[in-house]
Amino acid sequence: MQLDWATIIRRIFSEETAFWLSILILVLGAVFSYLSWRWVRRLLTDAEVPETVEGTPFERTAQGFGTSTVGVVATLVAVFVYAAAIILALSVAELMRSDLFWARFTSFLPKLFVAALAAICGLIVGDKAQLYVSERLRSIKLPEAEVIPELVKYSVFYIAALIALGQLGVAIDALLVLLGVYALGAVLLSLLAFWDLLRAGAAGIYILLNQPYGIGDRIRIGDSEGIVQEMGMFTTHIEDDGEEYIVPNQKVFRAGVVRIRE
Amino acid sequence: MSGLDEFVDDLVADADAVFLFSSSRTRYEELAADGEVVVIGPENDVDADAFVELPLQFQDLADRVRFGIEGAIENGYVDEEAEVVCVARVFDGDADTVTRVRADEFDQSGVYDLFVDSRAEPSVIRDVFEVAVELGKKGQKGKPVGALFVVGDAGKVMNKSRPLSYNPFEKSHVHVGDPIVNVMLKEFSRLDGAFVISDAGKIVSAYRYLEPSAEGVDIPRGLGARHMAAGAISRDTNAIAIVLSESDGLVRAFKAGELILELDPEEY
Repeated sequence: MQLDWATIIRRIFSEETAFWLSILILVLGAVFSYLSWRWVRRLLTDAEVPETVEGTPFERTAQGFGTSTVGVVATLVAVFVYAAAIILALSVAELMRSDLFWARFTSFLPKLFVAALAAICGLIVGDKAQLYVSERLRSIKLPEAEVIPELVKYSVFYIAALIALGQLGVAIDALLVLLGVYALGAVLLSLLAFWDLLRAGAAGIYILLNQPYGIGDRIRIGDSEGIVQEMGMFTTHIEDDGEEYIVPNQKVFRAGVVRIRE
Repeated sequence: MSGLDEFVDDLVADADAVFLFSSSRTRYEELAADGEVVVIGPENDVDADAFVELPLQFQDLADRVRFGIEGAIENGYVDEEAEVVCVARVFDGDADTVTRVRADEFDQSGVYDLFVDSRAEPSVIRDVFEVAVELGKKGQKGKPVGALFVVGDAGKVMNKSRPLSYNPFEKSHVHVGDPIVNVMLKEFSRLDGAFVISDAGKIVSAYRYLEPSAEGVDIPRGLGARHMAAGAISRDTNAIAIVLSESDGLVRAFKAGELILELDPEEY
């Protein structure tokens, strides 16, 4: 495609024009890469990316090198644009002979770019997810719970690495299988673990929408009888003489409710 | 300034504990190196071991100290004869005030108990207070309004009351913390009757006429029927009652038939 370009230009204009054209492309490429650098910077700043990534290890590392996440991404875009301009210029000037190598390199460049971007995004999103999950779990003062944020972080890292490696054309089939097994295991385990909660929640949705009984009613569920104190998504609290039964909602469905009217 | 230095040294000498009301990590770490520090504030952002959550931003330092002391005694951080030095913030900025107080100087008013040991969750009680204070500040279209919130033990309260009109909260799932509630309650407060709120903060009903037995309820003279109903329902059930007075604009809280807390909405 690009080689066709070069021959067309050569046919219309002279050899010399093609040379000057490639110089022009180089200069324009420089301008464009600067513009895209500025544009990406402004876009990311407007999207409040600096505030979002603040404090993540990647941002801190970037700041150690005297730049920031936004700076790294913007520079990456600028370099990509300029590299594209150089290749275009070279092909117009027909300076490169080993066509096959360059053609492959040209098609490889965007993939490299996407891989770098995926790696950066993965690092930041992973750290952010870890932070978010640990924040949510902060009220649970349980040392074992600290494993979960780490697990979330490395899961995100793993997926990001898969995307990046996939872009670069590395064989990742084995890693993909591993991911599949991991995901399946996670889904199966959580289904197994949360099965009762899911059923209670499904029953709870019906109860909350239709309200077959309300707070203050006297009801009997199975053997427990009392006044309804609280109706939630997962449980119904009924109280009788200082004894508060917390009944899971699926039991309400299975055993049925008796409303007691005087 | 040696006289002043001496005075401050005397003030803080042999205190049993330090109560830190402003949260700054460096200050906490400095103080914690010396001895027992109890942090009292809306959030435990310094991860202190001894922490008392302050549900309301009491404007008056004495109220804040009282709440902190009751909470600290309840949690066993200090005993009742402890000498306590309080480091607090009265004006803007960092901690600027040091006071010294004996823990038994206050008679137990039960404010801490009201928030923490009631049936309803502390955050629900706090939200109801905020709604009442907000309502007291703004009123209904500029006119003062009164309102009565019965919080917790909703099932029993419902059985000790009857509806005055249809219940606007029937089959709705509104909780006191929700942003829409302020507007809704403001509208409904125009009508008579009490609001019933469950332990978890769900607004169960409005327009309830409370029918508790008022026997033996002793509330200060001069308060009207609304306060009487509040005192009586809190005595007859395990609920607490929060009242916004229409005549003097104060917010009062009752628990077990007794007036526990009195707040002026204008101070918040």
